[in-house]
Amino acid sequence: MSNYIPTIGLEVHVEIKSKSKLFSDSANAYGMATNTSVNVIDLGYPGTLPTLNKEVIRQALRACKVLNCDITRKMHFDRKNYFYPDNSKNYQITQNRTPIGTNGYVEIEVDGVKKKIGISDIHIEEDTCKSAHRGSVSLLDFNRAGVPLIEIVTTPSISNGKEAMAYLTKLKEMLFYANISDCKMEEGSMRCDANVSISKTDVLGVRTETKNIGSIHNVGLAIEKEIERQEKVLETGGIIREETRRFDDKLGETILMRVKETGNDYRYFIEPDIPYLELTDEFINDSLKTLPLLPDELKKKYSEIGLSSLQIEKLINNRPSNDYFLGLLEFKTNYVTAVNLLLSDISSYLNKHNKVITDTHLSYEKLVSVVDALEKGELSNKNVKDLIDSLMERDLTLEELKKEFNIKNITDDSFIKDIITKVIENNSESVNDYKSGHDRALKYLMGQVMKETKGAVNPKKASDMLVKELNK
Amino acid sequence: MDRLSREEVLHVAYLARISLTGEEIEKFRVQLKVLMDDIDKIKSVKDYDDEMMYTPIEDNTRLREDVVGKMLSAKDATINAPKKNGSFIEVPVMINE
Repeated sequence: MSNYIPTIGLEVHVEIKSKSKLFSDSANAYGMATNTSVNVIDLGYPGTLPTLNKEVIRQALRACKVLNCDITRKMHFDRKNYFYPDNSKNYQITQNRTPIGTNGYVEIEVDGVKKKIGISDIHIEEDTCKSAHRGSVSLLDFNRAGVPLIEIVTTPSISNGKEAMAYLTKLKEMLFYANISDCKMEEGSMRCDANVSISKTDVLGVRTETKNIGSIHNVGLAIEKEIERQEKVLETGGIIREETRRFDDKLGETILMRVKETGNDYRYFIEPDIPYLELTDEFINDSLKTLPLLPDELKKKYSEIGLSSLQIEKLINNRPSNDYFLGLLEFKTNYVTAVNLLLSDISSYLNKHNKVITDTHLSYEKLVSVVDALEKGELSNKNVKDLIDSLMERDLTLEELKKEFNIKNITDDSFIKDIITKVIENNSESVNDYKSGHDRALKYLMGQVMKETKGAVNPKKASDMLVKELNK
Repeated sequence: MDRLSREEVLHVAYLARISLTGEEIEKFRVQLKVLMDDIDKIKSVKDYDDEMMYTPIEDNTRLREDVVGKMLSAKDATINAPKKNGSFIEVPVMINE
């Protein structure tokens, strides 16, 4: 059964970040009260005219750049005609024939193998209103109507669920970092449809479309289940019909929604209410110059300054900490220690108090002084834990806080040495254990040193000195 | 042929979600054919699509600044809806179409 070759293409809708909607000046905001982020254009009133939002074009250009697409210089919009209550104009304004971006790719890596997933086009279109189905009625909220979207369509170059998941993860990471979208699948700002077909020959099989899959994990699962289903149908002499399906994550299978009739009959024609759009070099360059560093560029940069791959991954997954850290690079300090602090004590504080780092009193100068003090042994990790609330909440320098908290760290080597000698004398059994190769004994002895000094020595320094003494 | 087929008229009626009587179908078979012929004439204009000749204006690019303007209240937004449910507009369910 497994000699079928699957061919998969994904269509991803991403809501664009902007203040106002695509064709009207009502707010593009999530979570507003029902039908309040709306005007007569969004409601499709006769006689109203759409006007194109400049920022959406800029954002779409950024998406083209990030996804390595060719940019279309002269384009128009098209009407896609259909009757459905989610669109009161009875047509959606989209880009059918002149998408803003074409011929791009995203590079993914699965099990150590790199692969380029082709992007056939990126087009701009308006979102529909949100409908909630309740028994025999549907309830419509037009807040989402006219929200700007880009639809990113891949070539049929994906071979399995794992590749689809890697592609979506990368796409999400890039669009999020480029500030194009917040890409929250759970809030619907990123939505994915998967086209799947299987065949034993070079001729592609009949494809099905599984719509609106709710998470990246479920996209992978839905694809694998759909491949299995199609194999079963073909192996038992059945045929695959062109149809729309949905993924039921409780049942773990795709379910038939509707069989497509004689193909879609959307009767596309050029949107006559929007003049065509011709982009100048100046406009394009101006739009692209605000693109921030993207994850692949960040990974390279961080690896060059000595961060571990785990630190890099954690930092990139924590956008506010990452953005803050980028600012820290203007200062000279030990970045590895700084990242450790950012991802441990500082992150814990921020999570506990539900704050972002820019809302605290932790200036770069203050963080640098903490990192430097840790490096010199003037401050221990325990001190940082004791001080963290004050460091974040109060506009005082580290020196001022140390005075207030009466932190006088022991940097005097001879004093530390005396303590170590005392610990070695009082714990001869553990010393013997250590010498016979029991590493755990070292931890115990270090604990005793820290206890004797009430945590007031730099653990690394004390540990180095302890090992030196033990090995004498 | 001076008229569309019955199936063609029914297809157009389906797309518009309207039902037609037998008499209406016969009437539209002739009327829609006249319309189609006129559209074909327009389509035969050379370069109609290629040069984006759908607008008579030169320097077409018109973009709006990204600024939020005045919006409607939920009451005004739903004022012309045949049926309401709280602040929502209510319509017959169309989930399994």
